[in-house]
Amino acid sequence: MGTLLYPEPKTKPGLYDWLDERLGISDVIALAKHKTVPQHRHSFWYYWGGLSLFFFIIQLFTGILLLVYFRPGKDAYDSVRQITYDIDFGWLIRSVHSWSANLMVFAVCVHMFSAFFMKAYQKPREFAWWSGLVLLLLTLVFGFSGYLLPMDELSFVATKIGLQFSNMIPVVGPVLADLIRGGPQVSPDTVQRFFALHVVVLPLLFLPLLMFHLFLVQKHGNASPPGEESRPASEKQTMPFFPNFFAMDLGMWLIALNVITILATLFPWDLGPQADPLASAPNGIHPEWYFMPPFHLLKIIGRFVPGVTGELLGMGLFAAVLIFWTLVPLFDPKGKAGRAGRFVTWGGVLVLSGMILLIALGYADLGYTHL
Amino acid sequence: MNYPVWDVPILGSAWVIGIIAIFHVMISHFAVGGGFYLPMAERKALRDGSGEWLTAIRAHSKFFLVLTTSFGAVSGVGIWFAIGLASPESTSTLIHNFVFGWAMEWCFFLVEISTALVYYYTWGRVSDRLHLRLGWIYAGTSWCTLVIINGILTFMLTPGSAWLAVAGTGQEASRFWSAFFNPTYWPSLVLRTLVCLALAGVWALITASRINGFEHPRLKTEWISWSARWLVPAFLLMPLALVWYLASVPESSRHLMQAGISTIGSGVFTQITRAALVTVMTSATILAVVYFLAIRNPRDFGFGHGVAVLVLALCATGATEHAREMIRKPYTIGQHMYSNGVRRSDVARLNEVGYAASSPWRDSQMETGEMMFRGQCMNCHTVDGYRSMRKLLEGHDREAIARIVNLLHQAPADSPYRNFMPPVVGTPAEVNALVGYLDRTVNGTKAGPSAPESLTKKYSRASPALGLPMTAAANQPDR
Repeated sequence: MGTLLYPEPKTKPGLYDWLDERLGISDVIALAKHKTVPQHRHSFWYYWGGLSLFFFIIQLFTGILLLVYFRPGKDAYDSVRQITYDIDFGWLIRSVHSWSANLMVFAVCVHMFSAFFMKAYQKPREFAWWSGLVLLLLTLVFGFSGYLLPMDELSFVATKIGLQFSNMIPVVGPVLADLIRGGPQVSPDTVQRFFALHVVVLPLLFLPLLMFHLFLVQKHGNASPPGEESRPASEKQTMPFFPNFFAMDLGMWLIALNVITILATLFPWDLGPQADPLASAPNGIHPEWYFMPPFHLLKIIGRFVPGVTGELLGMGLFAAVLIFWTLVPLFDPKGKAGRAGRFVTWGGVLVLSGMILLIALGYADLGYTHL
Repeated sequence: MNYPVWDVPILGSAWVIGIIAIFHVMISHFAVGGGFYLPMAERKALRDGSGEWLTAIRAHSKFFLVLTTSFGAVSGVGIWFAIGLASPESTSTLIHNFVFGWAMEWCFFLVEISTALVYYYTWGRVSDRLHLRLGWIYAGTSWCTLVIINGILTFMLTPGSAWLAVAGTGQEASRFWSAFFNPTYWPSLVLRTLVCLALAGVWALITASRINGFEHPRLKTEWISWSARWLVPAFLLMPLALVWYLASVPESSRHLMQAGISTIGSGVFTQITRAALVTVMTSATILAVVYFLAIRNPRDFGFGHGVAVLVLALCATGATEHAREMIRKPYTIGQHMYSNGVRRSDVARLNEVGYAASSPWRDSQMETGEMMFRGQCMNCHTVDGYRSMRKLLEGHDREAIARIVNLLHQAPADSPYRNFMPPVVGTPAEVNALVGYLDRTVNGTKAGPSAPESLTKKYSRASPALGLPMTAAANQPDR
């Protein structure tokens, strides 16, 4: 009978082993370690996807807390007034939610433009690009629907103006606007609808799409800009996503948390007077900064081509930019460097500078109360 | 109004003091904490026989010398200029009471600065033992300057009953020691000493972070880890010291600190709660960054990390000092002198003889209302900038403005403004002139007939203009 001279040391399985056996944590960590992040002079832009995710997590957390006290419909204004002025730290949760919403839109936009200029839409990342675009669209709808919920003067008038934008869409526009409003006018019924959209419909669409997007990013890794891509393999540097880049990501999240805290405490989100449908719109009404480019563009076009023709021209221009932006992976595919690639890059520069210019002009010209 | 008014548009004179003071605190507390850091580090290097350490500490002492003796000293003088211009009445009271204290402080300061210079220029020129002694002399004298200044700073919040009993009699200096060792003296001294030690660590991290970790791995690892530990006493003991401090401040100050928990609307003073939140958040972040980066991974601690910790420390210091200043409201010297320089004991007399009328700085070209505004409001408010009167009173007609001003003038026991705003003093005619001036400033109306007499005697209800939590529309955030 043989004797085992060197028996295997018996180690007591710990909690991690117990969980790992049942949940497969090691597999997830192995997947995370498999991914590497390119290191080059443009690596800073890789943080913006993680930052967008962080702001979304904050939105989820603070949104659930706001849900405890918010009452949609006729009581909407009063419940937000209570949150802001009566309930302990209610103002903080609301301010963090509002600031984080703005920062999330900003981070998603930066993420999108950095992905664009790194040509991260090219093969095999086309679906990551398209899912990202839909996520951006949903983020904007989150912003628009959430903006009305306090039902104060500013949100009421801004929503009213915003829905006029939907009215301009030929044929289906007026029907769509009526459907969103729940009637011919913005009313407590609209708040009810926006609320359902904001806390149920949009998260149901957003979360699975976000998972899909993250899965694709994990699968294909981060794209390098064309200049870095063309370097020989020996010159390319990478960093393991886990734990190295993940730790850096956490550092950026910590910075973002401090920025939100400072903004929310030093500039808490105010609540204006209650909306009065019969009152005239106060001066200085304007959409949120991220809706400023389309609104101001329509205004500028309206000066030169007034009426329905101007509106159609504006909408047509928008549609063209959106189509260009969505279909860019198809007419700038990988391996086709040359005029098409340069045209796309300059197109991106034009869109980005156009947006910045329109936001700046829009704020400089806040006289347009009525669209 | 014994002094002319320093008009700082948009920013307000108080913020001039605030900005200089926040930077000065960062440097002056480093000057004290660094005083202990340098000889301790030098002693360690000598015991370990580490020449690398001594070279690095010498470089740090140069940075220390330049920063503390140039920026620290200049900003300290800047505070004197600023407080003399912005709050001359309070400064005068402090000088009259603490001239002996300041004389002591200047003696210690002179020794401190001289020793700092000698300490740096005698590296390698005198024996190690003597050089170390110079370091300890510096540490002792610089801490003594804090010991003295702390007495004067805490006096402004809690002068103590013994001093208040003789306030305004001309015998105030006879209670020097009871005013000096006032109720918040000891907790504040412990708090500030802990901050000094923490800032010594923070600034040392800046110098140490510039060492190349690949060329000098051992030096960088040891120095970063050792410097990071200087923050540990602060993080362990500061919460306890803070509880002690808060237990020593007046109930009204504690109430002010809690005003912003449930609302952003109770006038400007909900800012104090929010400033405290910034302190908590930035301090927690410093703890996380120092633990994860400086202690767990010292070799990779870069200059950017060091600067990030410094900026966070600046935010924490700024927020804390701001909150400390604000809990003193409505006084600059607790229970004695209001933030606009009016003595509490003078209120009845000035209401009788007149505020503007009794001022030696009466400008015949300036109408009474504007003079009242400049003398009594401009310490805390500006017309268009910080705590803008135009914004705070926006949408209020003359009658509504009169109600607010008269509520401030009469300051009844149930007035919500009583806790953080001085009473408006002056004769009914002067108060009425102030109403007229504010009405013209806010509503652009021309000088007209005075408000009805009844308005100067009675107030019907509190106005929301300064943020009383009455209606949602009235609740404006603190900007």
